[in-house]
Amino acid sequence: MVKVKHIVLVTILAVGAWALWPPQAGDDSSIRLGARRPHSEAGAARRKHHIRMAPGLYLPGTMPGNVGKPLTGLLDVAEKFEALYPDTYIEFVGTPAVREWLVTQLSAGLAPDILNVNVEDVWQDVHKGWYVALDEYLDRPSPFVKAGEPGSKQWWDVFKYEAITRGKAAPDGKSYCISYDMVETGIFYNKDIFEKLGLGPPKDWVEFLDIQARLRDAGYVPLLVPLWGVSDWGVDLVFDQLYYPILEGIDLVKDPVREPYLQGYLDWDEICFLYGKGFFTRRDPRWVELWRILKDWRRFWNKDLSTADMMRLFVTQKGAMFWSASWTVQQLARDPDIPFRWGVFYPPPIPASFSPYADGHDMCVIGGSAMQFVVTNTAISDTGDAATSDRLKRVMAFLQFLTLPENADRVVNEVLSMLPNVKGVEPHPELRPFDEFLKRPYTTTKWSYTFDMRFNEVLIRMMDLYLNGGIGDEEYLAWTERNLAFAVQTTARRKKVDFDALQRTWDALAPARRTMKGLPDGAK
Amino acid sequence: MARSRLQAVARNLGCYVLLSPTFILLAVFCFVPFVWAFTTSFYDYEIGGESAFVGLANYGEYLQDPTFWASFWNLLFLTVFSVVVGVVLPFGVAKLIFSLSSERARYVYRIIFLVPIVVPGVAVLMIWGGLVYGDNGLVNEVLRLAGLEGMTYGWLSDPNTVLWAVAFIGFPFASGINILIYYAGLAGIPESVHEAAELDGASGLRKFFAIDVPLVLSQVKLLVILTVIGVVQGFQGMFILTRGGPGFRSMVPGLWMYFNAFSFQRMGYACAIGVVLFLIILVLTVLNLRYFKSSEDVQAAA
Repeated sequence: MVKVKHIVLVTILAVGAWALWPPQAGDDSSIRLGARRPHSEAGAARRKHHIRMAPGLYLPGTMPGNVGKPLTGLLDVAEKFEALYPDTYIEFVGTPAVREWLVTQLSAGLAPDILNVNVEDVWQDVHKGWYVALDEYLDRPSPFVKAGEPGSKQWWDVFKYEAITRGKAAPDGKSYCISYDMVETGIFYNKDIFEKLGLGPPKDWVEFLDIQARLRDAGYVPLLVPLWGVSDWGVDLVFDQLYYPILEGIDLVKDPVREPYLQGYLDWDEICFLYGKGFFTRRDPRWVELWRILKDWRRFWNKDLSTADMMRLFVTQKGAMFWSASWTVQQLARDPDIPFRWGVFYPPPIPASFSPYADGHDMCVIGGSAMQFVVTNTAISDTGDAATSDRLKRVMAFLQFLTLPENADRVVNEVLSMLPNVKGVEPHPELRPFDEFLKRPYTTTKWSYTFDMRFNEVLIRMMDLYLNGGIGDEEYLAWTERNLAFAVQTTARRKKVDFDALQRTWDALAPARRTMKGLPDGAK
Repeated sequence: MARSRLQAVARNLGCYVLLSPTFILLAVFCFVPFVWAFTTSFYDYEIGGESAFVGLANYGEYLQDPTFWASFWNLLFLTVFSVVVGVVLPFGVAKLIFSLSSERARYVYRIIFLVPIVVPGVAVLMIWGGLVYGDNGLVNEVLRLAGLEGMTYGWLSDPNTVLWAVAFIGFPFASGINILIYYAGLAGIPESVHEAAELDGASGLRKFFAIDVPLVLSQVKLLVILTVIGVVQGFQGMFILTRGGPGFRSMVPGLWMYFNAFSFQRMGYACAIGVVLFLIILVLTVLNLRYFKSSEDVQAAA
């Protein structure tokens, strides 16, 4: 009996030890295996350059939208590159989409060499040496391009949406990312439901609200939208509608690098200065109007903004419209079980009849670059200096190789989500509406990325509470004011904003502001 | 004198050697980070960026932080709630099990109440968040079945219900470890004490309050300290289920510390919050040890 007990206990211990045993190199646990070829630490160790890339949407082995086949495009391109450079091994890794992970990896020098990240997040940290500026490479020819073709003079020339790509330069004037493809938002709508109710895409905001009211009366959730969509896209779109008419009098910095695309973008230094003049406070009628419009719109959205499964509600036809982006096309177009016809339109303009601060100009775009490949400090880990690093040269060679038309086509068009940003590569026909949207001017500012993460966190939280009736207008506006005051104070201290220079431009723009209505007291 | 000390050390060298790995690990992972955090709390330190000495500015800022009062109120509510239910209910369950006449039944019940602790905490939270509090979760479906559709809520997203919803996670609060601690305390009460009480005519509730409660006060004291420390330090429940929202309605200081450290990269400020939490735990623990009587104190007084 005692012997049996011992056998049972030892067996339990052995099973426990087996379960806890760490996976060995070459095990199926590697992400690279998910596609076709196993990742091998031993194989990687034999090569001089072991480059790690976190490619976001294009991670081999994954199935975006859970439809179609596991992706292999990027792996194919990597194998072609490795054939050209036998001393190089490319490994693809998945990364958690959380900033906490990124910060810890970068500060420890352990991040992948190439990383997909919203470059606005990068701007906040460029002074820390975590990222490598790519201008030197972008200004020179791409070695893989034949003479006479785009990119043979400057790598810049291969990019189809060149203005957007250049517009992604950081406020320090340097470019830290390659915009590999483009994304834009749009309102997906159920054509069958619209036809049944005699509706069509709206021409302006008033008609848009009327359509939503009729959809609600017919028993549908008129518009499905996530909280982060409202706080990111919604705020920026309505902000642009209200502030674009006075931009001429408040746009204080003309950035020579980014201006051709951004055309009057308000950066953090301008926002800080304008806050001091009473903008974006309760004294600013446009600011008050921005939140009034969003609160008014809220009545047509899904009840739960944070956790509701919007895609599910849309495909089960409980929701008639879904505010999403081009990445949703993959699921709608490739899922054979979608039982209805769908279309996409862009949010319509707010006319002066709806708001005294709007002028009815077209809604701006808020998307642009999708996969934004940045190069991290890991890429210069061999010498610690971008000028002498061999590893960096190889990393950049791989990025340049990725932007060859045949490679971009293989990678980007494998998924029906984004528009290739390489000349000579056409997007899928289903994505063409987004190509049209992208021709509009860019937003006046991106509130989610203007200040630090604390500002964004507080903004989203309080907006959630406000839109769901947890607090009233006055309390919410007081919150936004306190939040902005803190962000301005922190930014002015950390980024060393030159308020004197901004004041001089402000004074010079006084004539333009004299005829403008609805400015905060004393802002003329 | 010095020589005799050296001789004593030499005599116990084996013990010191055996103790040293534990001590080194404690120093590296507990004491050094604490000292580092305490020092950093006086700096404006952004991860990867420059740091500047700011004295007590981080502490001053925290007093005016928009989350300060809200998060400490939430913490107070959750601490009181957890202490009350975490101390009272397991005691009742332990007493019931202990009162069973069959040794086998006592053993089986102990095992049954202990088994849930093998379920990972994150899984428990996910179950409560999705299956219990979800829009079509257990609570709402039961209310709908009872014809109380109007009483259904987004329990974790409604500003008025979120804190209670979080507090009720773990219902009916019969935690296995707490029951075992109480059970051990009850088992340690000599049978002769009960017999003497019965001879004096005490029975039932009288015996419970006059004998059992005073003689397990050491266990109560331990559980109060552990629960307070757990609630003040813990934020994983909020992080997984609500992220402190909606707004700051379920924010707790520990979670705000985490956000500041790793999302906002304000490490100095986060350290200041950590030091404040440490001081709170220290004060509460000292008060508990000093003013809360243990069973030994009660026996000595008697």
